[in-house]
Amino acid sequence: MIIFRVILLYFIFIAPVKANTIYNLIKIPNLEIYEINTKNKLRYLYAVKPFKLGVNIKKNIRCFDSNKETLEKKYKTINKNLNKYSSGFLKKIGLKYIVLCEDLSIAKINTAGIPNNKMRTLILDIRFNEAYFERAIHHEVFHIIKDNYKDLFDETEWKNLNKKKFKYSECSTCNNKWNLDTYSKTEGFLTEYSKSTASEDMAEVFSHLMFYQDKIYDDDPIIKKKKIFIKTNILMIDNTFRF
Amino acid sequence: MIKKIKISKSEKILLVFIILLGIFTLVSLLIIKNKCLFVKNYNPNDIQFDNRENIAILNANCGNVIIELYPNISPNAVKRFKTLIRSGAYNDAAFYKVIENKLIQAGDLEFGKRENLDYGKVGSGKSGLGTIKSEIDSNFKYERGSVGLARTFQMDTEDSQFFIIFQDEPLFEGEYTPVGKVLYGIEVLEKVKFMPKFHIVPRPDFINSLKMLNK
Repeated sequence: MIIFRVILLYFIFIAPVKANTIYNLIKIPNLEIYEINTKNKLRYLYAVKPFKLGVNIKKNIRCFDSNKETLEKKYKTINKNLNKYSSGFLKKIGLKYIVLCEDLSIAKINTAGIPNNKMRTLILDIRFNEAYFERAIHHEVFHIIKDNYKDLFDETEWKNLNKKKFKYSECSTCNNKWNLDTYSKTEGFLTEYSKSTASEDMAEVFSHLMFYQDKIYDDDPIIKKKKIFIKTNILMIDNTFRF
Repeated sequence: MIKKIKISKSEKILLVFIILLGIFTLVSLLIIKNKCLFVKNYNPNDIQFDNRENIAILNANCGNVIIELYPNISPNAVKRFKTLIRSGAYNDAAFYKVIENKLIQAGDLEFGKRENLDYGKVGSGKSGLGTIKSEIDSNFKYERGSVGLARTFQMDTEDSQFFIIFQDEPLFEGEYTPVGKVLYGIEVLEKVKFMPKFHIVPRPDFINSLKMLNK
């Protein structure tokens, strides 16, 4: 019993104090402020050392620090794209912190970004493929939106927009449909990755809407319906939103 | 036969020197042990305030901390804070979380009072009045001495716990509900017991009293 008490007190008292404000706020270690005085009140943080995250001891999310030049260059691009969202909209969707790091992976699979709506954080891989980088920013923002407005972005309703025989995969990494090139002939889907899950499909439509504005594929009736679905529901969140 | 040796003059001087050195060491130790020795204790009655109804006086071991509350910035939070102060709820509450040069936290009224301090639960206690909504939309600057209400990871979970910061914290802006700022006596709080690397301060210091200037 005494040993048990000693062990318990050890964990209560000696658990290392993380005096780091950023860690206390979003539970990601090794970050420092990159820029916090922004137009839409987003706070940009960057990794000064590699970090690992995860709910269990395995910590399967990893990301690495980047050099100053890459950070400067990519920050401008990210900031330009995220400035499309007003502070009011960002508050409604619960996005406040953008973490900049490179070679981001989850379970050893590289990814453009990892949203965490509980921590109001979006981790972005600033070394992600240049060809899709800007679009991927909006794609990841959509996941934050959807996580906070699950009722609005109903997946069953979305699935009904597709051809009856079509079925999504069980998860976004359960197949090899990872290509992000926009199809020249869409047939209901903008990219191969759109076919992975309903959620990724929605995110792809949203990211195309944000990146190409309204210039995409109205000649495809399914895409047209999907665009209306996304637009209508985004305007339900904030009727001042502009694509 | 043992021959008695007479003490020489130089030995006498040495003896006096050793005794004086001993006295000096003892006095020095007493002075060093008194951590409040160089801390100014402010008397609120000697200070002129424009808005006495929003002045709170926190008394800790080394003296008074004079806090101005900002009802215009966070009306609900200040209302809650004043209610708890007026009921005497904060008296004997532990400064259970103290991070050197960073912040000090107190106000767990369930598990953080002198008579029922529970090291396993302190920090998770409630006031019994329920939680209040976060008030984070003002452009309040979290500078040294700012007082804010603590919360869980979720917004709108503020209750009775509060913190005071020892350095500017721009990241706190828009995160935590501000309730006021220390006008005088932050040095008193800097003398509160802390333990480097300890998550919770063992055998912590306590708030002696927290009162409103206008009762």
